[in-house]
Amino acid sequence: MEEAAEWYAHLISGEEHEDDKARWEAWLATSPDHRQAWRYVEAVSQRVLAPLRDTADPRLTANNLHAANVRTSRRRRTLTNLALLAGSGLLGWAVWRHTPLDGFVVALAADHRTDTGEIREIALPDGSGVWLDTAGAFNEDYRPGLRRLRLVKGEILITTAPDAIRPFVVDTGQGRLRALGTRFTVRQEEGRSLLAVFHGAVEIRTGRSGKTGVVAAGRQACFTAEDIQPPVPADPAREAWSRGKLIALDLPLKDVIAELRRYTRRHIDVAPDVAERRVFGAFPLRDIDAALDLLAHAANLRVRRPLPWWATFEAAPNPDD
Amino acid sequence: MEILYCDHHDWLQGWLRRRLGNAADAADLAHDAFLRLITRPAPRGFDSFGEARGYLRAMAQGLCINLWHRREMERAWLETLAAQPEDHAPSAERQAIVLEALREMGALLLDVPPKAARAFLMSAVCEMSSQEVAEELGVSTRMIRKYVAQVMLRCMRAQACQTAAGLRENVLA
Repeated sequence: MEEAAEWYAHLISGEEHEDDKARWEAWLATSPDHRQAWRYVEAVSQRVLAPLRDTADPRLTANNLHAANVRTSRRRRTLTNLALLAGSGLLGWAVWRHTPLDGFVVALAADHRTDTGEIREIALPDGSGVWLDTAGAFNEDYRPGLRRLRLVKGEILITTAPDAIRPFVVDTGQGRLRALGTRFTVRQEEGRSLLAVFHGAVEIRTGRSGKTGVVAAGRQACFTAEDIQPPVPADPAREAWSRGKLIALDLPLKDVIAELRRYTRRHIDVAPDVAERRVFGAFPLRDIDAALDLLAHAANLRVRRPLPWWATFEAAPNPDD
Repeated sequence: MEILYCDHHDWLQGWLRRRLGNAADAADLAHDAFLRLITRPAPRGFDSFGEARGYLRAMAQGLCINLWHRREMERAWLETLAAQPEDHAPSAERQAIVLEALREMGALLLDVPPKAARAFLMSAVCEMSSQEVAEELGVSTRMIRKYVAQVMLRCMRAQACQTAAGLRENVLA
């Protein structure tokens, strides 16, 4: 087998000499074992290598394959490390709080999590309620003098229960929110947080610069660790997800699809020539297939599903053609 | 087996759910793990509760990695397809063949050092000469041939196992 593998490496190296072919044939002829080994080389080449070689851009195929393997190895290391930590009882508050782990790892260890596509209500010990949106995660830290949530990933809708003694705060990657008797949503995005307030008011304190600002009911504001953007009227659609609905009020199709993608592992594609079409409507988040069909109907488009996990939006064929 | 199932099934499913972030996947994998225990029991049973749990945890880790790897391969293929012009999209059957080939190649290369894996892919899939690959990776052509032979040998061994399994099945059938 080793010799067959070496022959293979030699023959595809582009450096073979004229008499190599004869030498290889002689090697094949010397023993049935050699011929058997070579049959394995051929089988691998035909069954596994040829389909990859015959793709439109083998180089891209190979690169993507390699990148996927690197990602898998990294996650595998994470998993084994996590298992070690969990085994020694260290995995908890202190670890995730002080280690700059990526969202994926932190989310694994969080107290409350949702799957992609899952929307769930969680009752907190003091009677406050939290809705956790798709692929989200947060930690709960209730102490005698403080009720604190740490949003790790995704979006939460909070209705706080009154408590005269313990303030209610939510920490995000960019700062701290202090609720002043309220109903509000917080969304953790890449490098920024989005706050929308529906009742009462919420105070923002940014993590790095320490700037503060109060957002009143009916307003929403974005903030980073440095800065708070001026509040704008709150989008009523911001809390619709807790009722399992995505509300689009005159949004470009590509934005609606970007939002839907958060709720499914499937691949949803949109043809560039229709990406800017404006969409009105309410779409069910718990049934993505139905949402896609409704969306196609609302935007007068066609959904093509070339594979079970793949949907593409494109212009509907004109019936007059 | 029944005791094993009662003792550990819920725990295992919970463990998987926390790792995978998905209840459906977790249920599937927990099922797979017990199925595997039935078809291929541990060599000498379990002496204790802790031992059984350790064994199951190791197995579940392996299953998690397989699942992630499958998903990563699907993503790799989607990204490859997405870069192609729409009218060149291969047929569904062709796509399934390529995806299967990606999975197999990916699994074979998962434990290979990254440089050897790249050398093999460039030579065998991109059909680059060992001279070109050597220049790109900054090692000698001799090393490239060694990498290619190493990985091919792995592939052949896997192929041999598969052929043997196929023969056994035929005999049984």
